Amino acid sequence: MRQDTNKYQYGQLETYKESLELKHIKTKTLIINLVLFVFAFVVGYFLIKLEIKTTHMAGILTLFGVLFVANLSLYSYSHDLFNNLKLAMYFNSILVFVIAVSLILIFQTPSIFTILFLAYAVTAIYQDYKVMILSNFTLFLTGSLLVVRFTDIFSIPGSTASQNVLILIFLIVFVLLLTLSSYILIKRKSFFYNQLAQIKESEVRNMDLLMEVENIHMKKKFNSTNYYKSLELFSKELSRKIGIENIFSRKIKLLKDLKKYNLSEINERYPDYSIEEIKELKNLELSVNKKMRNIGIKSSKSIGIEVTRKEIFSESQFKSFKHFDDEMYVKIISFVVFYCLLKIDKPYLKELSEDKVKDIFLNSEYYYKVDRDVLNIYLENNKVFDTIVNDLLKDNLNYASHT
Amino acid sequence: MRAILNRILNSEFLTFNEVLRLKVAIVTIFVITFLGLSMTTSTLNTFTLDINIIVPSFIALAILLTILLTIVNLSRIAMHFSIYTIIGITGFIVIGSHDFFGFIMFFVTLTVIIFYQDILTYLLYGGAVTVAGTYYILYYGSSLIGTNSIDPQVSQMTYIIVLIGFYIIFLIQFVVSDNIYEKMNNEWVRMNKTLAKYQDFTLHHLLEMVEKNGVEPLYRNVKFQQTVSELSVFINEFFEEEGNNIAEYVEYYFFLHDQDVESIIDNKDMKIETRKYASQFQKYLMNKRSELISMLFDFATLLKGDDEYTTDRYSYDLDKLFSDRIDKFLSLAVLYKYLRTEVTQQDKWGNVNIILTHSEIREMFISKEFREFISYEQVNFFLDNEELFEQFL
Repeated sequence: MRQDTNKYQYGQLETYKESLELKHIKTKTLIINLVLFVFAFVVGYFLIKLEIKTTHMAGILTLFGVLFVANLSLYSYSHDLFNNLKLAMYFNSILVFVIAVSLILIFQTPSIFTILFLAYAVTAIYQDYKVMILSNFTLFLTGSLLVVRFTDIFSIPGSTASQNVLILIFLIVFVLLLTLSSYILIKRKSFFYNQLAQIKESEVRNMDLLMEVENIHMKKKFNSTNYYKSLELFSKELSRKIGIENIFSRKIKLLKDLKKYNLSEINERYPDYSIEEIKELKNLELSVNKKMRNIGIKSSKSIGIEVTRKEIFSESQFKSFKHFDDEMYVKIISFVVFYCLLKIDKPYLKELSEDKVKDIFLNSEYYYKVDRDVLNIYLENNKVFDTIVNDLLKDNLNYASHT
Repeated sequence: MRAILNRILNSEFLTFNEVLRLKVAIVTIFVITFLGLSMTTSTLNTFTLDINIIVPSFIALAILLTILLTIVNLSRIAMHFSIYTIIGITGFIVIGSHDFFGFIMFFVTLTVIIFYQDILTYLLYGGAVTVAGTYYILYYGSSLIGTNSIDPQVSQMTYIIVLIGFYIIFLIQFVVSDNIYEKMNNEWVRMNKTLAKYQDFTLHHLLEMVEKNGVEPLYRNVKFQQTVSELSVFINEFFEEEGNNIAEYVEYYFFLHDQDVESIIDNKDMKIETRKYASQFQKYLMNKRSELISMLFDFATLLKGDDEYTTDRYSYDLDKLFSDRIDKFLSLAVLYKYLRTEVTQQDKWGNVNIILTHSEIREMFISKEFREFISYEQVNFFLDNEELFEQFL
């Protein structure tokens, strides 16, 4: 069976990750442009100092000019900014190498060859998979081609042909090291984007879960009518105090109507409000929407939480059944308890079928949360697990009353 | 090698310590490669045979030490040793050959240091390597000037500018990514703690339900215990001949549920084994908001279906959620009403039955932390009309 550990994940994850990435890609684009501007200045200075041919000089400076104009255009065009900046990212990565190679071909010295490493460093700021592949491939390809086809570049008094072979070998090992290094770093970075996006959604869902369990336990539902009544009274008194007519009452009526009518009907009844305004007001509606309730829950629980620097980089923050300092018995027992709990009907989660449990363990992040050996034993013998649970647990527990 | 490859592919799921070990392992492989290369190039260098034997031998010893340190889990020290080793190899190749491929080693060394992603290490060792590289070019750079060079001085300067530029650009990358990484981590840990609070409340409701319904808690249920025991024995049989050995640990796990686990861990009169397992099992207890319970709740949320994503889905700031001032004030009133009427706090015994008082809400509203939810303007509006809030909401 083909494994897809993204099969079971929050549906909102990818969209939010994109918005998180957008925020950072903006900063990175600005920094890279700044670095390239300084780079252009230095290159320009040397081109003038060495009295290079005007055509060469104009060519290089035009490349820089194209780069800045393209970046400025893509950055300022706000529609679909994420993709624009991604485009700018690939464009910059390619053009930086084009500039570097052009300079190498103009000067044809070993010292200018190192500019390829500088080009690589600039693109590394992006910390992006595709850019990483692109720049590692370009560095390898251009570097190797230059070493093999333009041996003159590396000609140093007293050097031999075998030294060019050594340069090529060193370059290959260097590119390999760079590739591995960036691969791991980018993976870790993507993981944190993922973790952050996941926890944001997890927060919303845990608030829902809390409300769900609280409603079952307390046997009561959120009383929005009471809230609207209090709001009407409050706004009436407030208007009296300020000495103005009650400007809140119509809004409160609209809020109540949001439960009864759909967006277009509301728009017909309240033509003085735009669709955007009504959409925004939906967050304030209390009987169907959960936004205000969630703000209430979050604000009442998150105050007073402090984070120390030690905790930021602590491994204990990651929950799993395979903490590296845990004994094997602990890894086994914790996983088994978790598995058994999934097979039991609970107030907030119905009993899961064996196929579903196996599918989730195989195709979700839980695959990485269980010790690999333990999980493999389960995946290969899940029918045995199911039989044991069915023999011992089924019909012997008043499931829904348990946690 | 296959294990390392597997670890690289799944590196995002490794702990910080495991990642560091993996990095040391990768660097060690490269260091061995470069040592091999340096020995191959020894015919081209200017050193005597003694030096060509002694220096690589010392480097080989340093590699061995790095491997040993990694095995005994002293990854951080191993990291430093691997850096010293690559610096040693760089020195050996650069000084010995005075050739262009030697100069590439400065970039290799910087890359190794960058790989560890530790800003202080980079500032210190990376800075030292850059200074050494600059010094080398200033004093021995003439041997690296190409025959096509128009101006040897400019060629020398190019080497230096590129090396320093490489160092600075990666330093910028460090600062940017460190900043992003730390902020993300900070937010993530804070949210983890907030999540723990929600889950505390959820668990408390569930435990109260069990108590109210007069049902035996699951951890005390013999059938449940038996199932866990049998499954654990079944798994353990794959690891040791006497699979049944785990059974008494299962018993101990369930026994811990009715004990004060902290006092067992702190009790120095108890066996180390008993305390160690108590400490490890603590994370997986069923009647506490343990890691196990958190993961169970998270698992449940995974199966609850997806709401539509909106750009303000994770925004909790009333000032940003609403653009109209009337909406801002109304939302503040709703928030006040929520905090003033709903049970949101636990009493000193952990029971969920406390409603915030007006003065407590006031204190919250004016606190700096609450700017995450309401603006100064909203606080001022609240303070100006405090008596109305208290009386009518």
